[in-house]
Amino acid sequence: MSGTAKRPWTGAVRERAVGALPPEKLLPDSQPAYMASWIYIFGVLSLASLVLLIASGMILSLQGPDWWHSSGIGHFFNSIHLWSVELFFFFMIVHLWGKYWMAAWRGGRARVWITGTVTFLVAIPCALTGYVSQQNFDSQWISTQAKDALNAAGIGSFWNLMNFGQMYTYHVLLLPLAVVGLVAAHVLLVRKHGIVPPFQISDEPPATPAPRPATAEPMP
Amino acid sequence: MSAAIFNLNHPSNTVHWHFFSMSVSNVIVIVLMVIVFAFAILAPFPGRSRKEPTE
Amino acid sequence: MSRETRRNEDESYREWKGAYRPYDILKEATIALGVVLALVVLLTILFSSPDLPPSTIKSWSRTNPVDFVTTAATELDGSSITGGYGPPYNNVTANTQHLGPLYPARWFGVSQPINSAQDFVIAPLRSITGQPALQNAISVYQAAKTKTQAAWTSAYEAALAKATIKSSDSISVTPGSYGPLPTMMTALLTFAQSGGLDGALLTGKQFYQDNPTKALMFMADGGVLTNHAQQQHLLGSQWGMMNETGSYPGQVWLWLYTFWYQVKPFSTSTNVDILVLAMMGVLSLALILIPFIPGLRDLPRKIPIYKLIWREHYRAHPADE
Repeated sequence: MSGTAKRPWTGAVRERAVGALPPEKLLPDSQPAYMASWIYIFGVLSLASLVLLIASGMILSLQGPDWWHSSGIGHFFNSIHLWSVELFFFFMIVHLWGKYWMAAWRGGRARVWITGTVTFLVAIPCALTGYVSQQNFDSQWISTQAKDALNAAGIGSFWNLMNFGQMYTYHVLLLPLAVVGLVAAHVLLVRKHGIVPPFQISDEPPATPAPRPATAEPMP
Repeated sequence: MSAAIFNLNHPSNTVHWHFFSMSVSNVIVIVLMVIVFAFAILAPFPGRSRKEPTE
Repeated sequence: MSRETRRNEDESYREWKGAYRPYDILKEATIALGVVLALVVLLTILFSSPDLPPSTIKSWSRTNPVDFVTTAATELDGSSITGGYGPPYNNVTANTQHLGPLYPARWFGVSQPINSAQDFVIAPLRSITGQPALQNAISVYQAAKTKTQAAWTSAYEAALAKATIKSSDSISVTPGSYGPLPTMMTALLTFAQSGGLDGALLTGKQFYQDNPTKALMFMADGGVLTNHAQQQHLLGSQWGMMNETGSYPGQVWLWLYTFWYQVKPFSTSTNVDILVLAMMGVLSLALILIPFIPGLRDLPRKIPIYKLIWREHYRAHPADE
């Protein structure tokens, strides 16, 4: 046992985690009744696209980065990977539009908005490293063009778009980890805070906040 | 190259509008996004039964 | 709205205390995965994906030997794009982009050194064995005064503008005072057309190579990549950043990024890249911080698209909570 005056880390972390995300919040079996719109499916559609993106990327990496140029099956999975990217950004942007017009940051949900937008912004260089890892004309053009912006910002000194080895490792490991980490934080924050309620449409906003129950039990 | 039903390996047609210049395929994607968004907020959502609040 | 009123209203949105209905999160995720998988497979079967083969110095020097030799001459006298680029490739300062007094390109120095004359011309030629006349020509060039070298390269580049292609693999220029340049460039052209220059330009002194920076910089200095890009509508002036090769959809999410390149003052500025990057940096920050920006955060309330999204809720609860 450790020293008597020290606060136990494990217990504190566990209590905080379970307090923020009890099982019924992590895996709910009910949802607020106001969620009666198709706009609400675009988050999970984005997530599904990301899962397929990663799965097809893993299959592409099984036989190395030049497999898809000489193999029909490899090319098939390259196509799956490309269309997953297109759908990922498609669904994510529709999701962003919906969340903006719902002002989904209300009620203490600013971090949900922030993690979502940062995910979008990190996904862009992640896609860029993929485009320059294709080992074809497209990657030659994109890398020689985009390098000027990165060089002008000083980033090109240590992040060289034309360096295939470097870009490939950023693409298959470092940036996907960043995207997945951000998406995980985003989803867990959504589970913790719940889906934002509708705007109150009466002209008089409440003078005092609605009382919070002693034991926070929003679920029936 | 694996066979596709529609061969898109030809230079794209471009839409010019004032100084905007966009490939037809990109215009289609953007228009689709707007249509899908409009559908998402306008289309009726199934399942109108709701549990009443217990409190 | 006063700050206290805003805080109170925001607090009221923290928790939903109204009705719930049954919901299966795992079933929803599974259905979504199935739907997206079906969509992706359908798109793959319908359209596949593009794969234009890469250009090589070998193919470039064979299909356009005049452009290749002209580019090589500008590498030799440092007047190429790479030669005058500045950090991170060399110390030329005339062309470095800046944002007011800030020159971020210079902050990290020359981290990827490229000496265009040495790396693209002299060193590859020096590696060719069994040609004493060539080695002698290189020595004559290197021993000459800078003014003399410049005179030779300028005259040769001017003559190249009117060069003719003798056969598929050699060029002819009008006689002139070019010093050892014709010997050097003829040898470099032959070396390139055999594929030797592609290999010689791979970075690093080790066996395993994964960094074609030098070959790419050399090709980008000439017309081979640009000509192909123009056919594929990938040039900046064609909003190319958003485009994919062929007729495939590209990167529509980059529309605003490439938009700034088309408008003044960005489009006419020598600092266009860093200016656009700074603009997009500011806008990206604004996107992230929307919850805290007055006006932007209030627009959803003012333009009531939310009344469409939550119309069933408002119909069921006319007085609202």
